[in-house]
Amino acid sequence: MNLNILWFILVAVIILGWSVMDGFDYGVGGLLNFIAKNDEEKRYVINAIGPVWDGNQVWLILGGGAVFAAFPLVYASIFSGFYLAMMLVVWLIIFRAVSFEFRSKVESIKWRNFWDADITVTGLGIALLLGVAIANILMGVPLNKEHIDYQSLFSLLNVFGLAGGLISLSMFLMHGSTYLIMKTEGEVQQRARAFAKGFAVAFIIVTLLFLIISPIFAPRLLGNSFGVIGDVVPAIMLIGAIGVILTAGSSSDIKPFAYSIIAIIGAVASLAVGIFPNIVPSSINAKYSLNIYNSASNHLTLLVMLIATVIGLPLVLIYAIYAYKKFGLKVKMDDSSY
Amino acid sequence: MDSTALLLARIQFGMTAFFHFLYPPLTIGLGLLLVITEGTYIFTKDQEYLRVTRFFAKLFAINFVVGVASGIVMEFQFGTNWAQYSSFVGAIFGSPLAIEGLFAFFMESIFVGVMLLGWNRLSAKAHWISTILVAFGSTLSGVWILVANSWMQTPAGYKIGSNGIPKMTNFWHMVFNPYFPSEFTHVIMGAWEYSAFFMAGVAAWFLIKNNKDMVMRKALKVAVIVGVIVACGQIIVGDIGAREVVKYQPTKLAMMEALWHSQKYAPETLFALPNNATESNGPHIGIPGMLSMLSYLNPAAKVMGLNAAIRYINKKDSKLDHTKLTLAMFPPVWIVFWSFHIMMYFGFYFALVMLIALYFLLKDKLFDSPKMLKLLWFSTFLPLIAIELGWFTTEIGRQPFTVYGLLTTVDSVSKNVSVVDVGLSITMFVLIYITLASFAVYLFKRELRERVEGKDELAGESAKAQIK
Repeated sequence: MNLNILWFILVAVIILGWSVMDGFDYGVGGLLNFIAKNDEEKRYVINAIGPVWDGNQVWLILGGGAVFAAFPLVYASIFSGFYLAMMLVVWLIIFRAVSFEFRSKVESIKWRNFWDADITVTGLGIALLLGVAIANILMGVPLNKEHIDYQSLFSLLNVFGLAGGLISLSMFLMHGSTYLIMKTEGEVQQRARAFAKGFAVAFIIVTLLFLIISPIFAPRLLGNSFGVIGDVVPAIMLIGAIGVILTAGSSSDIKPFAYSIIAIIGAVASLAVGIFPNIVPSSINAKYSLNIYNSASNHLTLLVMLIATVIGLPLVLIYAIYAYKKFGLKVKMDDSSY
Repeated sequence: MDSTALLLARIQFGMTAFFHFLYPPLTIGLGLLLVITEGTYIFTKDQEYLRVTRFFAKLFAINFVVGVASGIVMEFQFGTNWAQYSSFVGAIFGSPLAIEGLFAFFMESIFVGVMLLGWNRLSAKAHWISTILVAFGSTLSGVWILVANSWMQTPAGYKIGSNGIPKMTNFWHMVFNPYFPSEFTHVIMGAWEYSAFFMAGVAAWFLIKNNKDMVMRKALKVAVIVGVIVACGQIIVGDIGAREVVKYQPTKLAMMEALWHSQKYAPETLFALPNNATESNGPHIGIPGMLSMLSYLNPAAKVMGLNAAIRYINKKDSKLDHTKLTLAMFPPVWIVFWSFHIMMYFGFYFALVMLIALYFLLKDKLFDSPKMLKLLWFSTFLPLIAIELGWFTTEIGRQPFTVYGLLTTVDSVSKNVSVVDVGLSITMFVLIYITLASFAVYLFKRELRERVEGKDELAGESAKAQIK
């Protein structure tokens, strides 16, 4: 296995880390105004992610940095080609990043309603746009000979892109619901169980729909480099979601979340398998596509980054485990909570 | 490339970087001060130091989230607006950014949650360690960001590959590029300096209202002690940094000092109205020989003027394919000159203020002198102006390059992002940043007011329980 393949896998792992860890933050945010009925419940829900959302968000920063360093041409082409969509995501992230802290500082109803709406809208928006962007990449981007993409924001909002958006939206809402099953008790937890089931069903439906229309919009997904094995990877998504449906109503608080993680692993694996060895296929001419070789940094950069990742990622996991342990499995509010 | 789109992309980068850098210095510096105050509490069991820590941690939190929010765009913006730059140097420039995320930002962001929300969940010592990790993580984050920036000033550890694109040849040469040590020290000390003034200014504000406020007396004491060390040290560090500029970026130095033509006994110009069209300074005052002295420790030494520096760079880089430089490609010299000089004058002012404050502290008159307290309160945010002017100097002074001697700004911008796109995003950023800054200021003021109204920084008895 060469460094380019290894880095393709590592970027997929970082996307997975981000989807699993930050994904429930977006899901919980998106659910906020629907799952919590009053300020007390809202604070309860917010504090489920309160101490950890900021650390989780670093997965996104890491992903950006890793793609920049390992596949600079991908970073340059996608970010500039998807300009306004990227900006929209950035604005949503900005308004989300300040929301929890700002909300907690003032007790007026108007102030809190504003930030509740903000948390809900930004959570839903980011969850949706992520899938839209990825589906468009799967479909192929109009990269020219210089690997530059000239297209508008609206061209991203096509049927296939929106179908991808619905997958990520339902996936993160499912993930957020299962996270709340794990972190909460009482009525909020009961509602979370119902939401988890509902979003898992929605996730299965949109995923099947996406798979059905894939041959029309992105035939390369079926013609992937792994043949028949590659074609069955999406089944992991469905298995995970079915697991969520079966366990959401049970007495287990942790199983639904674990199954939700399996669904996300399936989604990221399907993405990786479907696109390999390309990273950004060109819809103009297959020769203009960016793949793991023509978009990558030189050997030394990839090697240095690999060493850094091998040392760094375990440290990140240690910090995270410590933080999650300190705050316990179930949310307990005190005077320093949000 | 459309020149309007280039101009807009530059405005957007400058604006977002300006806004972002209003916040991280306080994260880095106040982080250190919190380590000091909380550590003092742990070792002396003095409750008042805990109250200092808990109050300033609230202000820290407000500042922190705006810094995080405005920082995200910085990482994405190289790709969105500077795609040519990103594909050209990403193999080198991208790695410190990724490493920053992995080794620094995770540590900072995970432990900031533990620190801010974990007051009742951790033992006093464990909490202090979280605070240390936040301060350490944010400083380490500064290390890697400044590796990236200093590499743009003095690129090293690379070779131009056969495809004309630079590739990394030595990671540690890239990290410890010539400008890194002095830039890092200068920026981190600037962060500490601002934070000392911030803590001093806020404490002074409370003491003006009530000089029997024992908690704020302690905060002021810590801030003045740290402040005087940092503010005096910064003058030395700044001087060392400037000599690195002399060595590696002659065009920047010439603009900082408004020196048009090479000369021996070059003066340190204190006041001038530099004019690019006439290549002269108009009415000006300077100290003869001083610039030569500062640059080469020899008053007779010849210092390169801007015109000579341009010829020098053209000759030195003749093998590289960047366009031949002309004076017309350079920014107005007055911007760089005045950014640098005002920053420098501020630097002396800060050292003076802190020395006077220390004198008052040693004479035991600091808390009873409304004039001194007012001076400190007035100076609270002045270091932030100096910090931003420092960035103006180093970033505008680097022009017309993005990577000095290697890549020009004109060749860095995205080709596929239109004027309409950037116009739209700038408009949004202006609106968002005005909103965020207003919220932050509102919440800051609110925290101050609430404390005056007697809402104590220690809710309940939880903190007392902790000391056991």
